[in-house]
Parts: sequence; structure tokens; C-alpha cells
Amino acid sequence: MSAPVVEARAVTKSFPMPAGPVVAVRDLSLSIEKGDFVSICGPSGCGKSTLLHILGCVDTPTDGRLLVDGTDAGTLGDAQRSAIRLSKIGFVFQRFFLLPMLTAAENVELPQAEAGVARGDRRARTAELLDYVGLARRAHHRPSQLSGGEAQRVAIARALANRPRLLLADEPTGELDQATGQQIVGLFERVHADGTTVVVVTHDPAIAGSTPRRLAMRDGRLEDGAR
Amino acid sequence: MSPKVWAFAGRSLVRQPGRATLGVLGVAAVGALLFDMLLLSRGLLVSFRALLDSAGFDVRVMAADVPLITRPRLAGRTAAVAALRALPEVAEVVPIEFGGATADGTDGRRLEVLLIGADVDSGRRPWILLEGADRDPGGAGPPALIVNRNLAARRRLGPGSEVTLRGDCSRDPVSAPPLRFRVIGVATFPFDDPGSTTAATGTAALRRVCGFDDRDEADLLLVASREGQGAMAVVQAIRARRPDLHPFSNEEVVARFQQIGFSYFRQISTVLSSITLFFAFLLIAVLLTVSVNQRFAEIAALRALGFTRRRVVLDVLAQSVILVGAGGLVSLPLGFALARRLEAILHAMPEIPAAMHFFAFEPRALGIHALLLAVTAVLAALYPMRLVAGLPIAATLRAEVVT
Amino acid sequence: MTPLIAVLLLAAGTAEAPAILVSRQLLAAEHLAVGDVVALSSDPRGTSPRPFRIAGVYEPVPDPARLGAVALEARLHLPDLVGLTADPADPASAESVESINVKLRDPKDAAAFTRELAARVPGLALRETAKGDPREVTFVVLDRFHLAIATVTVIASSIFLLALMVMLVDERRETVAILRLIGLRRRRIFIQVLAEGLVIALAGAVFGVVLAAALEGGFNRFFQWKYDTALVFVRVTPAIAARAVAVAVPLGIVASVAASWSLLRRGALSLARR
Repeated sequence: MSAPVVEARAVTKSFPMPAGPVVAVRDLSLSIEKGDFVSICGPSGCGKSTLLHILGCVDTPTDGRLLVDGTDAGTLGDAQRSAIRLSKIGFVFQRFFLLPMLTAAENVELPQAEAGVARGDRRARTAELLDYVGLARRAHHRPSQLSGGEAQRVAIARALANRPRLLLADEPTGELDQATGQQIVGLFERVHADGTTVVVVTHDPAIAGSTPRRLAMRDGRLEDGAR
Repeated sequence: MSPKVWAFAGRSLVRQPGRATLGVLGVAAVGALLFDMLLLSRGLLVSFRALLDSAGFDVRVMAADVPLITRPRLAGRTAAVAALRALPEVAEVVPIEFGGATADGTDGRRLEVLLIGADVDSGRRPWILLEGADRDPGGAGPPALIVNRNLAARRRLGPGSEVTLRGDCSRDPVSAPPLRFRVIGVATFPFDDPGSTTAATGTAALRRVCGFDDRDEADLLLVASREGQGAMAVVQAIRARRPDLHPFSNEEVVARFQQIGFSYFRQISTVLSSITLFFAFLLIAVLLTVSVNQRFAEIAALRALGFTRRRVVLDVLAQSVILVGAGGLVSLPLGFALARRLEAILHAMPEIPAAMHFFAFEPRALGIHALLLAVTAVLAALYPMRLVAGLPIAATLRAEVVT
Repeated sequence: MTPLIAVLLLAAGTAEAPAILVSRQLLAAEHLAVGDVVALSSDPRGTSPRPFRIAGVYEPVPDPARLGAVALEARLHLPDLVGLTADPADPASAESVESINVKLRDPKDAAAFTRELAARVPGLALRETAKGDPREVTFVVLDRFHLAIATVTVIASSIFLLALMVMLVDERRETVAILRLIGLRRRRIFIQVLAEGLVIALAGAVFGVVLAAALEGGFNRFFQWKYDTALVFVRVTPAIAARAVAVAVPLGIVASVAASWSLLRRGALSLARR
């Protein structure tokens, strides 16, 4: 059996505050296997985004270990963690964070260029991805010329650009209306069906209900002792 | 830095064209001033050196080690000239005397003339001949005179014409009668200011018109070194042979000039260079810091997508270099135009030779300009680079969602 | 003109030696003291020296045109100077002077006096002191030069100011959008921007003047030390301060209005859109 795509072992994350440390994630263990489609839901402030940041090597746990493809991420330097994020993990944000001065296609090309993909290959991959998310005709539009749903689809295409094994999404429908949000969920289902492991953080129970594996968080812990 | 870093930084700047344009214009304005100050800091020295070298004499011999304007006259001229000519390092020696005269005009007005007495032979001359000849053919006629363009124009003189000069050499009371001269040539005298009227003749004629007695003196000896010897070899040889004389190579004269002459301009150029650089630093640092502050979330997202810390830091540095580089390029034509304007203003100063320039271009000024601007670009980027390098990705993303 | 090249030799005390004054710089350079007797010669070789007693020290009149030159000077009584420089072979040389300063009973007569004297003694170069020293041309030129430099500096500062105001306004785009959306008129916001620009420009100009005044002493002391001169290099006079404020304030206002123009001409909704 292959190693989990990402595994958190007894992870704790606390933030120092003037009034004393605030613990966002407490002694949490979780294993995301290849092919998983996981939703993590819970009320605001329960620590789900912090957990996602730890799983995505964006943040480091105060305590515990994080294994990415069996490698302890805690032993890696900033550059190596960046390399993991660039090649193995795709990120989708609530607020899209598309670069306003770049077109949709250029936004999708950006992580590929950073990874050193040849221009011809990345153009082909970008066209393929924009077609995949249904925005081939909007390739040369800037983010300000796209609707919220379109912008998020471009963001998903960007997250998939370097063929990551794991796609992490933090409240991807938080800025969208219900119908558009459903389209985005449908897109995640398709991405998962095509072989990418997907973890979505959401506080929307309807979205959480559509994933095969559902985790709930409260006060920094997974409910029911889920792993 | 790879081309993709430059391209990305360029796109980031173009995103706010107004701000980027102001940054470039600001750097261009201060860069132009900086460039001019660099030209000014050595302009007088460079052009003074060029003036000294222009006549082909590389050593000046005086009676004392004192500033040029207060120097005493050199006694025992004949012996000194003979001693110097006998040195194997010396190619040529020309004794020079200065005097003054007034030229009578047809309109009855007198024109003040700076009279140079120089006994030149077949070699170099302390002037550049433009028209006619500059060797006195001799004969029984009036002594030969070479005039500058101003004098030629104001008294309608040219080769073949004659002019009467009255000695006005304040060194001694005037007692000599006016003397008629025959103009044989028109020449440019390197140290003439734009309005000066200058003429040169032999030292004997100068003494006659000035009413000097037969003192065997000179104001200055111009010495040219023999090819391959160099000025310093001549200076050392003269010091060894005639310790009573004070020889100075052009290099030494320039060094002395640098020490006391027009040091005001070097000071103002240093002060203004520092201020302009600080100004450029402040402008770029503020622009980049505000820009980075406004893009924190975006930079955090890029980091989350896999951009390394080094990569986002280099992006800020590249933006600074592009802003300063573009401004620096624009500053060069602006600087040249401004230098011409400032040169015109400063040249109205009295007694500044026409061939001397306050703003003289040297390739090294371009190099220093580029270097100073490059250092400014890096320094200005340091603080925003530090902000970006220390940006906590998760906390920034979280803060963005909360706000 | 025959400049006096004083070759200075320490001489044995002579009670009858005429008194001279030496410049502070000469006193320090030659380690002299008031009361010392020195020998001066007009010849660089030091021939025919004459003894003089140092009666005092003076601060030379600062000459901006000779900045950096150490003023190694001495002041002699005219007969002593003539005695020192005159050529024994030329009796007329003891009768010559460089110039004669004339103080008139009524300064208003200067022009008439000059005319009359010129007619009586042809060949004399006469100049009314009220008409100024020809060397002043140098300072007129320097004034123009400083003005040109100041103009470029003001242009650069204006660009800097505009950049700052553009950023400041940009930061407040959403605030302006909200104000517009809740019903404030463009004119009302424009007046507010104008008032802010005025306050910033006034505060900046006053700060600049205060800073210049504060630096004045240090700047002067540094250059006076560097050049060993009593020259005053920087002087922040009320007139200069007023001129600086008069230039800076309108510039600040124009910059703030120009920067906010793009914001004011846009619709409230387009401003609110990110």
C-alpha cells in the first residue's frame, strides 16, 4: 500500500497572543489517501483553515509532524516546501487571488513558468485546462473582466497547472452565490474523478454533503475522533 | 535574475501605470540633477586639464611656489631658458610675459587688450593659429602681432593690417610711446574668456610697448618634454639642475587648481549628489513599500502556490531596478539638456576661459551615475524586500479573509 | 600690480621694528605669536628682508571666490609696504599705489566727483563704490545657478509629492466610494481633499523651513571648519522661508487635486468594485 498523500500526526498549532496563546488545532491526526475527496467543515474559528494551511505546507505545526508523500515536512527548508507546493499541491482560495495584470491564460501559465515548463508545453497545458474549466473563450480576459464564478474556475485551472497530486480549497464558494457555488463543486467532483486528491474546507453543509469523506471540526479537533 | 523575474516585475509595475510613471519621472528628474552634479564635480578640472594640454606644453616653470595670480616674475630668464634647453628631457622652452595695452579705434574708443609676449621658434605655440601666419618674418617694418578673433572683429583686423597699441602694463608706470604693430595672423588663445581681446607678440616688442626696462625676466616658462620622457621626468630634471626654479607638470597644476580653485562647485556637487540620491532612495522606497503593503495577500497567495521566498524578494528588487533603471535612462538626455542650460548660466561668470566648461562629460561620470543609481535601487528595495521575505503566508491569507 | 610675496623669517627682536598685523591663519601656520619679530621680503629668495613686529592678529575678509585657499596674509602700514616693495633703481616705484579710496563729505556727490576727476586726470580708472564691485557679477551668476538648481529640485519634489498623493488617494478609494454611495456630493469630497492637501502642504512646508533652520548652524559650522573661513554658507531668512512656503503650499494643493481627480471623476460603483 502506498504512503498517504499527506498525513498529520498529533499536530497542534497555537498562536501567541497578548492574552495568552490561542490553540487553533489541538493534537490532531489525519491521513489523506490518494484518491480521497474530503470535506472539512465546521463553524468559523474552529481551525479548519489553519489545518488546511498545515496540510498544504503553508504553515508549520507548533507540535506534531506532517508527512507529505512520506517525507517529514518539518525537516524541509523554505525552498523545499515551496517546491512541494509548486509541484505536488494545488491551492484554491476563497478570494481567488488571480493577478489582476495578467490574463486568465497568463494566470494559469504562471505556476508552470515558475516550475520551468517550456513555453510550448505550458501554452498547450493552459489551453487544455481552460477548456477543462469551460473558459477557453475567456483565455485573454483579465480577472476584472470575469465574473466571480469564472474567476474561481480560472483559479482552479491555475491550481491544476502543474498536475498536483493534492488539491486544497479554502472556502472556494465563500464569495459565490449558491448556483455558481454548485458549479464549482461539480468542477471539484470532476477533478477528483480524473484522479486528483481533493480536500475542501467549507462551512457550507450542502457542499460538505456532496463529498465521499466528510470531516467535521470543532475547537481545533476532528469530531468523533475521525482520522 | 532570470528573464521571467524581470518580465513579472515589469508586469507588476505596469499594473499601476500612474504610480510607475511618477516613479520613473521622479528618478529621471533627480537622476538628471545627479548626472549634472557628477559632470560639475570634475568639469572644471577636466576642461582645465584639456586647456593646459592643448598647447602641447606639459610643464610650467615659475619663480615661486605660489598661486598663479600672485606669482612673482622669474629673474635671469636667459640663463634659465638656456639651462632648460640643455636638458635632454626637454624638447622646447618658450618664455612668456604678460602685459596690457589699449588699441586705438577709428571711433576714438580705446579697447583693452591682454598682451602676451612669447618668443616661439619652429615648434609649439601657446595659441592655435586660425588664419595667416604666426612667425615674425622679421625685417624693418613694425613688429608682428597675432590677434584673437574678438580683437580682429572689433578693430577689423586681419593678416596684413596694422594697429597701434598703447602700453597699459600696470606693473610699471607707463612712459612708452604707442607702438604700431603689423597683424600677421588670427589665433585662438586657450585661456581667453568669451569677451576678451588678446594679442601676442615677441617679448622684445611687449617690453617696448609696455615701457619695461631691459630686466632679464619672464612671467612664465612653458616647457615641452621630449617624446617618451614625460612631464614628471622634466620636472625632476629641472629641480635637479635649477633648484631655484619651480616647475609644475600639468598634472600638478591641475592638482593645485583642484585644491583651491572653484572648490565651491565640487562642494555643491557633493551636497546635491547626496541629496538627490537620498531623494531617489526615498521615492523608490516609499513607492515599493506602499505597493508591497497593498499586495501582501497576493504575495502570500503566490507563496502558497509555490513561489519561493527568494523569488518574491527578487521580484521587489527587480521592480526597484526597473524603476530606477528606466528613470536613469531618461535622466541622461534630461541631464545633458540641463547641463547645457546650467553651463550657459555659469559661463556668464567673469574671467572664465571660453574653452573651459563647468560640465564636462567623461565616460567615468556615466559609470559613477549608473553605479550610484544601482546602489540606490538596491538600498531602496531593502525594506520592502525585508517585508516580503518575512511575510507569514498563512497569517496573511487568514487576515485577508477576515478583513 | 606687484603682489607682495612675503618670505617670512623669524628675526631677532628689534625694538624699532614697525608693527604689522598677521592673519589668524598665518599666525597658526607659522606658529607665531603677537610680539614676535619677523622678517619680510618681497622677493621669493628672501633678499633684502626687513624686520616687522607682530602687533596683532586679524580675521581676513572671507572671499568666496578663493574658498579653500589658506589666507596667509599680513597687513602693513602703507609706507612700510612701499618701502618693502619699491625698486631702489626706480624712484617712481615708491610713489605708486594700487588704488586710492576717497570718502566724500556727501556720498551723493560721487557721480559728479568721478566725472570731474576723470576730466582733470585722464587715464585714472574711477569707480563709485555704490555701483558695486565688478566681482559681484560672480555672485549674480551663482544666484541664477542656484535658482536653476532649485527649480529642478522643485520639479523633482513635485513628482515625489504627486506620487505620494496618488498612493494616499488610492488607499482611500473604498472610503471615497462609501462616502459617494451614502450620498455625499463630488464637490463635498473635493473640498475635503483640497483641505487635506492644504494641511499637508502647509505642515510639510513649515517642517521644511524648521528643518532648514535647524540644519543651518551645523551646515555653516561644518563648512567654516572645513575651509577655515568666517563665510556664512546658508542663511534661512524670513524672506527665503516665506518664498519656500509660497512655492510649496500651492504645489501641495495642486498635487492633491491632481491625484484625486481620477477618483472624483469616476462613478461611486466603479470605485467600490475591486
